[in-house]
Amino acid sequence: MPRPAGGGGSGESVPAAVEVPGTVLESLPNALYRVQLETEGRPLVVAHVSGAASLRRILPGEAVVVELLPYDAGRGRIVRRRF
Amino acid sequence: MSVQKSWAELQKMHRACRIVVETLEALAGAAAPGVPTRELDRMARERIEKEGAKPAFLGYRGYPATLCISVNEEVVHGIPGDRKLRDGDIVGLDLGCVVDGFYGDAARTVGVGRVSEQARRLMRVTEEALRAGIATCHPGKRVGDIGHAVQTHAEGQGYSVVREFVGHGIGTRLHEEPQVPNYGPPGRRERLVPGMCLAIEPMINVGGPAVRVLEDGWTAVTVDGSLSAHFELSVAVTAEGPWVLSDPYPYGQGRESHA
Repeated sequence: MPRPAGGGGSGESVPAAVEVPGTVLESLPNALYRVQLETEGRPLVVAHVSGAASLRRILPGEAVVVELLPYDAGRGRIVRRRF
Repeated sequence: MSVQKSWAELQKMHRACRIVVETLEALAGAAAPGVPTRELDRMARERIEKEGAKPAFLGYRGYPATLCISVNEEVVHGIPGDRKLRDGDIVGLDLGCVVDGFYGDAARTVGVGRVSEQARRLMRVTEEALRAGIATCHPGKRVGDIGHAVQTHAEGQGYSVVREFVGHGIGTRLHEEPQVPNYGPPGRRERLVPGMCLAIEPMINVGGPAVRVLEDGWTAVTVDGSLSAHFELSVAVTAEGPWVLSDPYPYGQGRESHA
């Protein structure tokens, strides 16, 4: 019996990512950055950098957009800069 | 990540697959003009339970029968009912069982009575495409190589490959990771390792690849109404190469391990 194509294993769907604006506070080892989000409570997350955004080095103080997944509220991915 | 099975577990898979394929053989012999599809379902259930196994599809995500019977333009997941088989139909029979905690899953398409040359060719090419996919199942190859082999063979004969349904890992559940598409570029997707068990199942259409699911929520048919065939076998990847789990172990006797 074939299974329907796509989706995750055993019918679980991949949860949607949310994109939120933030500001880079400092550069950490392993190409990670501490980013302050500009959402309610101004939380801090540790974020790595997506491929496209990593072409130019990100400096503290830059305005960026961070992608968050529901798995870990303290982690994110910098997907692009804001201008 | 798919689970690697031990040699002892592969023996259990072998037993389940053996029951499925023997039952399909009996059903193929019983598929004659005038037989209601419900009758084949009843035979399948009786045979499986007599062997001490349980139907794998019955109740799976609410599926209401032991067997999937997909006639002519039906691709897969046809529900048995009052429909009577007619001379010249081609009938996809898809069956699974679970015994001792392990699943077997296989399918074949058979002709009823006198079948057109076009339909016979479709069935032959689909089975060849399945064999081409199985032949790639050596350690170090990738899941994408299987689909590529299937697609190359089927499209080379002028047919199209269904995209919306895919093969799957199999073991202690009917559907395990990874997905096994019947199309796509070679060298991609998961690496094949000894002990992996995959249900490879090309669904091949005479016309276009598009399918849609009927209002019953299960039966998939070709959008253009063209004939479709479906063959499936459960296969273990071993160090020596593919083991079609319904066959005897093909690489010599007395092995204690496949790795």
